[in-house]
Amino acid sequence: MDEQQAPMRPPGCCVPWDERRAECGELQGDEEVAQRVWEDVDQLGWLYIWSCLIAF
Amino acid sequence: MSNGNEALYQQRLARYTAAMRNEKPDRVPVRPFAAEFAGKYAGFTNQQITHDFSKAFEAVLKCCADFDWDAAVGNMVYVWTGLTEAAGLKYYLTPGINAPANACFQYLEPPDEAGAHMKEDEYDALIADPTAFLANVWMPRVSRDVCAPGEPTTFRNNMSWLKGGLAMLAYFQGFGVQHERMRRECGTVPAIMGCLKAPFDIIADKLRGYGLLCMDLYRRPEKVEAACEALAPHMMHYALAGADPDKRIPISLWLHRGSVPFLSPAQFERFYWPTLKAILLELHRRGHQVLFYAEGDWNPNLKYIAELPDRCIVYHVDRGDPFEVHRAVGHKFCLSGGLPNELLALGEPDEVKAYCKKLIDGLARDGGYIMDAGAIMQDDPRVENIRAMTEFTREYGTY
Repeated sequence: MDEQQAPMRPPGCCVPWDERRAECGELQGDEEVAQRVWEDVDQLGWLYIWSCLIAF
Repeated sequence: MSNGNEALYQQRLARYTAAMRNEKPDRVPVRPFAAEFAGKYAGFTNQQITHDFSKAFEAVLKCCADFDWDAAVGNMVYVWTGLTEAAGLKYYLTPGINAPANACFQYLEPPDEAGAHMKEDEYDALIADPTAFLANVWMPRVSRDVCAPGEPTTFRNNMSWLKGGLAMLAYFQGFGVQHERMRRECGTVPAIMGCLKAPFDIIADKLRGYGLLCMDLYRRPEKVEAACEALAPHMMHYALAGADPDKRIPISLWLHRGSVPFLSPAQFERFYWPTLKAILLELHRRGHQVLFYAEGDWNPNLKYIAELPDRCIVYHVDRGDPFEVHRAVGHKFCLSGGLPNELLALGEPDEVKAYCKKLIDGLARDGGYIMDAGAIMQDDPRVENIRAMTEFTREYGTY
């Protein structure tokens, strides 16, 4: 099964980096760092919602 | 770290993992799923262990220290109602709040369409974007405090997300500390890491309710299938998020509505099994084993379970005939459980020992068996029976 099959918001994602990136305009530093940390923290939001559904 | 406990931990880990690989360890491991039993044994009320997870952790540590168990769950009660209160979740009966202090917590399934957490015409919204549906539609419906988009926001709404999220972080971090304490203080191995559910069960338990979902199987079967497919990648991602990075401890899979009589074999084959099987195969491909907690009687479904690769799962027997399970899939998978909970609650120690002997003789001859009750132990097993199960298995279950 391909984890990225979900049509709009893949597993682990609440607000995609692309959506945030479009708001930023020209980045003044390292985009890789900004994207990685955004996605790491974003996953915590996904984990909260899905934990409520699956585990609580 | 005490060297003695570390050596014990390594010995127990080797025993537990050998059995789960369907191999023959030095002796039959003991791995009870002791939930409210642990709290009662440690002198706590159900409210105390359900509402204050530090007490639940202490209770498990006391059991680990007092009983010679190879593996245990850090908190088998698992649901921390401090968190569910912070999130405002309405589908609980909570000991000490809306249930007696010594009752076990309970889930409340939606009784009818008016109370359904997902309405009959909302399948498409779930399928299109499950995470958005949960955040925007499901959470406002199941929480006392969460507002739906478009509604005026409230202080309680804002605080519910904040408190719920921080509470969950604290609880999950607490599990890491608990596993370390079990290892250091008792030499006990965590029995499971990570959590998986079948997509169909999630729809039954948390979205439609079992009764309404049964109607959907006839009225909109394609939607049910599509919803299972939409949920499946998220289920797998969630299981991996909490899984053992070393891939030695199995991911837990708690199965609810796939057993007889909830679904017929034909319904199981069409609705329940395809997405669950796909998840299990993918987890297996990635090197993870799953503890397949077959709650109820799953024996009519054994022909499907047998389709899984060898050692893909540890098959936990609840109400099914354990000897039939062993004949059907014992050559492929380690089995656990099978000891009737009513015997632990109402029987005498000699009767428990006799049943343990029957299980060891019938299931464990070639390895690949872990001693446990059929169902999670709530607060009714007699302490002397748990001791009898543990000590007899130690003595008799040696290879």
